[in-house]
Amino acid sequence: MSPNVRSAMFAPLDQNGRVETVIARLVDAITLGLLVDAEQLPSETELAGQFGVATVTVREALMALRQQGLIETRRGRGGGSFVRAPVNSARTWHDRLAAVSLTDLRDLGDHYAAVAGTAARLAADRASPDDVARLELAAADLRSASDTAVARAERLFHLEIAAAAQSPRLTNAEAQLQGEFGGLLWLPIGHGGGPGAAQAHAAITAAVAANDGERARAATEKHIFDTVDRLTDLRLSL
Amino acid sequence: MADARNARGDTVVAVSDLVEEIFLALRPMPAAVANMLESASGVGARALDALAPLACSTLGGLIVGAGFVAAPGVLVDRQFELAWWKRFDGTPNRLIADLDPTSEKFFDYTRMPWFTVPRDTGQRQITGPYVDFLCTDDYTLTFTLPVRRGGAFAGVVGADVQVRDVERVVMPHLRGLGGRAALINNQGRVIVSTNARQATGSLVRNPDIPGWWAAGAQPATGDGTSLRRCGDTQIALLVT
Repeated sequence: MSPNVRSAMFAPLDQNGRVETVIARLVDAITLGLLVDAEQLPSETELAGQFGVATVTVREALMALRQQGLIETRRGRGGGSFVRAPVNSARTWHDRLAAVSLTDLRDLGDHYAAVAGTAARLAADRASPDDVARLELAAADLRSASDTAVARAERLFHLEIAAAAQSPRLTNAEAQLQGEFGGLLWLPIGHGGGPGAAQAHAAITAAVAANDGERARAATEKHIFDTVDRLTDLRLSL
Repeated sequence: MADARNARGDTVVAVSDLVEEIFLALRPMPAAVANMLESASGVGARALDALAPLACSTLGGLIVGAGFVAAPGVLVDRQFELAWWKRFDGTPNRLIADLDPTSEKFFDYTRMPWFTVPRDTGQRQITGPYVDFLCTDDYTLTFTLPVRRGGAFAGVVGADVQVRDVERVVMPHLRGLGGRAALINNQGRVIVSTNARQATGSLVRNPDIPGWWAAGAQPATGDGTSLRRCGDTQIALLVT
């Protein structure tokens, strides 16, 4: 972002500039791409200084942005508020996909299949009836999903599998891989909008419920490689 | 034989005491939360910050996290909200979780047993061991009690304990029992055991633990197996 744009964005507001105005400024900056995904925002105090408003006003605005999913706030060392660019138009997906090489996409799929495949195998050994019931709910989420709900349902289903494997490390690896390339792997575009993914989740869930680890692993790997294949075709068509 | 029985009895009491101590730490919280929810007309997510001193006073010992989780519709400004505190670098801090239902990362906690069991039964609940991917990604036991406002379920208060810490505390007891000993939950999930082939997180399939539990969880011995409930908790001691 050019220094000019940045300083204009953070220019002081007139004194009736309330929470809404701060929200509007920041929303514009994020949706217009002036603030990029994962960029760290200045501290509340700094923002308050730049906008010429009270810290509490900034805090309220940031809370609203958090609720809209436009920023996320992390505690502790390396903490602060970070931009989460919205994922709501095909354009941004295409841009994200266009930025990834086929080499890296294949490698991500391989890594993801290693983690998610093993998680599914262990889940088949270790899932209690409660866990299976939650997996069935998570699998059902995808059948009725569209847009961001698809990504949410995919993320949740695979996290539930890793959790059913009783493995914090695999769950953590799963969450990290889900975030790679801006969550590209589970965007609706990779699904062709079809029922294939929902069927895949049903097949994985059935294998876990039947304590069939090898079938759970195979169904998971197929699900991931199919998704990567579709993304690859799409990437080649850009 | 009598010695072995005594040792098992001591272990059962030790585990029961450990659990009761955690629920005791939580005891003031349901009423405090209910008072807060009733005292103001329309409580919002931010107002729950007032629970910090009480929640943080329960941190310590085995308890690494504590707080209140609202039932949908209880707060005026958020459908889902956690007011949950943990120590980061020694300082208690309120957790931030992604509870915006439209977000890609949203996780609906109303499916979790730590929420559903107190809601549906009015009883206290020990959930886990499970991977807490909502907050910490740790392997966790979560202890929860229902909160009621005006007779209606308003959410749960609870405390998190890490499984590795329970292991540290109870392993000496289990090692003193001879044979292979395991603490298991009411699903048959192993919390900690002295048997590599029955690792933490695995399910005991034989004997049928959920069946034994449903039948009243009376002390059972036979075939070189002893199964005893630990006091009034959802945890049992299995010695084989």
